[in-house]
Amino acid sequence: MTVADASSTAVSVDGLVREFGSGTGTVRAIDGLDLEVRAGEIYGFLGPNGAGKTTLVRILTTLLRPTSGTALVAGHDVVREADAVRRSIGVALQEAAIDPLMTGRELLRMQGALHGLRGPAARERATDLLDRVGLAVAGDRRVGGYSGGMRRRLDLALALVHRPAVLFLDEPTTGLDPTSRSALWREVRRLNDEGTTLFLTTQYLEEAEQLADRVGIIAGGSLVAEGTPAELKARVGEPGLHVELADPADQDRAREALADLGRLEPADAAAPARLVLRTTAGNAAIAPVIRALDVEGVEVETVEVQSQTLDDVFAAVTGSLLEGAAAA
Amino acid sequence: MTAPELTREGRVVAALGRRALSVQFRRAQLLMPTFVLPLMLLAIIASGTSAGQGLRGFPDVSSYLAFVVPGTIVQGALLAGLTSGTALAGDIEGGFFDRLLAAPVHRTSLVLGRLAGTVGLAMLQSLFFLVVAFVFGARYPGGPLAVLATVGLAALTAAGIGGIASAIALRTGSLSLLQSIFPFVFVLLFTAPAFFPRELLSPVLRDLSAYNPLTYVVEAIRSLLQGDAALGDPWLGLLAASVLALLTTVLATVALKERLRTT
Repeated sequence: MTVADASSTAVSVDGLVREFGSGTGTVRAIDGLDLEVRAGEIYGFLGPNGAGKTTLVRILTTLLRPTSGTALVAGHDVVREADAVRRSIGVALQEAAIDPLMTGRELLRMQGALHGLRGPAARERATDLLDRVGLAVAGDRRVGGYSGGMRRRLDLALALVHRPAVLFLDEPTTGLDPTSRSALWREVRRLNDEGTTLFLTTQYLEEAEQLADRVGIIAGGSLVAEGTPAELKARVGEPGLHVELADPADQDRAREALADLGRLEPADAAAPARLVLRTTAGNAAIAPVIRALDVEGVEVETVEVQSQTLDDVFAAVTGSLLEGAAAA
Repeated sequence: MTAPELTREGRVVAALGRRALSVQFRRAQLLMPTFVLPLMLLAIIASGTSAGQGLRGFPDVSSYLAFVVPGTIVQGALLAGLTSGTALAGDIEGGFFDRLLAAPVHRTSLVLGRLAGTVGLAMLQSLFFLVVAFVFGARYPGGPLAVLATVGLAALTAAGIGGIASAIALRTGSLSLLQSIFPFVFVLLFTAPAFFPRELLSPVLRDLSAYNPLTYVVEAIRSLLQGDAALGDPWLGLLAASVLALLTTVLATVALKERLRTT
């Protein structure tokens, strides 16, 4: 499989369990995980350190056997059809494990050989990929002299040698400066535009929000929330429209005018000029709110939409609200 | 496995072997023990204990240097094999081995690829030692074919030691453990008649040497290079090196499979 079929499932995980150790010292890193990633999407897998992200990636990339449960990648079972899985996937693991004594080009050619590429085809592919990730000039230098960002880009290029249908990126931007991070994000989007399914683990909420079509949040080895970033944010509340009135005395008239446009939060005695309207419309509610207040002759100082962020979602599902969120 | 699959795996082994060998020459700390240390020991032994050639029972050879150079070749093979394990442990610790495991290649090819690099290194080493010793006066009456057979035996021996070292690396994944094994190389070397004929070793050492497969390899190389069948049995040496290489390659493959099963 070289290009994702949009109608199929790229990753399917069912009741997956992975335990480490034995007897009383057994640790359950993955605890009955169910998950589906559609072909052609970017799936962001979010969780704190030790939540089980890397364990799941290692199972899905055939580097680790599950204790129980099943996992299919590109339609192949990761245990029974490991070789077929390996042919379908590209992997860039955490820490960019690259031999520092080899050059970028040598590594790409070796990776090509592992995937059956040889001769001019392997040489051409190495050159193309070095070009693609912006390492054409540095390609013949030893990797030991590369910056962190360059190593990550080379790691990505290595994962792409055989044009995989599904690409696993395990915390691809951890430790990178903002410029390198943006460059990698661009490349991830480009790959996805070309039809590659991406399974991306990250600790960065912003990264998941920027890149992922859907996000899964893992905590304690289980999936505690899943959905598009907008869906997840909606789960912890609607965006709030914060209206600052010019005159606090207009509070009652303003509340009457806005009553039909959303759910008004109770007035805050500490901020008598402020109104908070909860509405799913978000930014689209600004104009109707201003019009409604204008009709009532209420003068407005400022209007601001405060959206929920994935930070809020994350705090809700992994923090004090974990139980309620898991139930949701 | 079909013929095309075998060819493909062969190419994988060659690619991994090339990588193992080229990286070896880019790491000064690996060249030191594999090329320089055996030569230093050769220089010390050849100059310091050459009087041993006058002892009763010492075989009639062209020079003491020519007599001890097989010991140096086997020492080189031992160290080449050991560096194979340390490099593999380094790959495991650094995560590079995971990259290889995630590729659609036969697991045995990953072990054979590493050993292919070791074999290449041992061939280059043994040629180098033979040339240096030649420059300093050693002669090889056995001729060019004997030199080729010597290189082959050294390569097989290195693969055998590399198999053990790789198995340890795969079982433990510990670079420091492999490095701590280094001194034991000398135990193996000195319990073989590397620098003195078996007949002149102490009775205990002589008994021990009979169980050391390197004994038969050293004597085989000596016999080949000197063209003297009385110094050893080349076929016995080939058998010892082959059995060692085969057994330890199986051991390393089993260790890899066990690693994959348990990690």
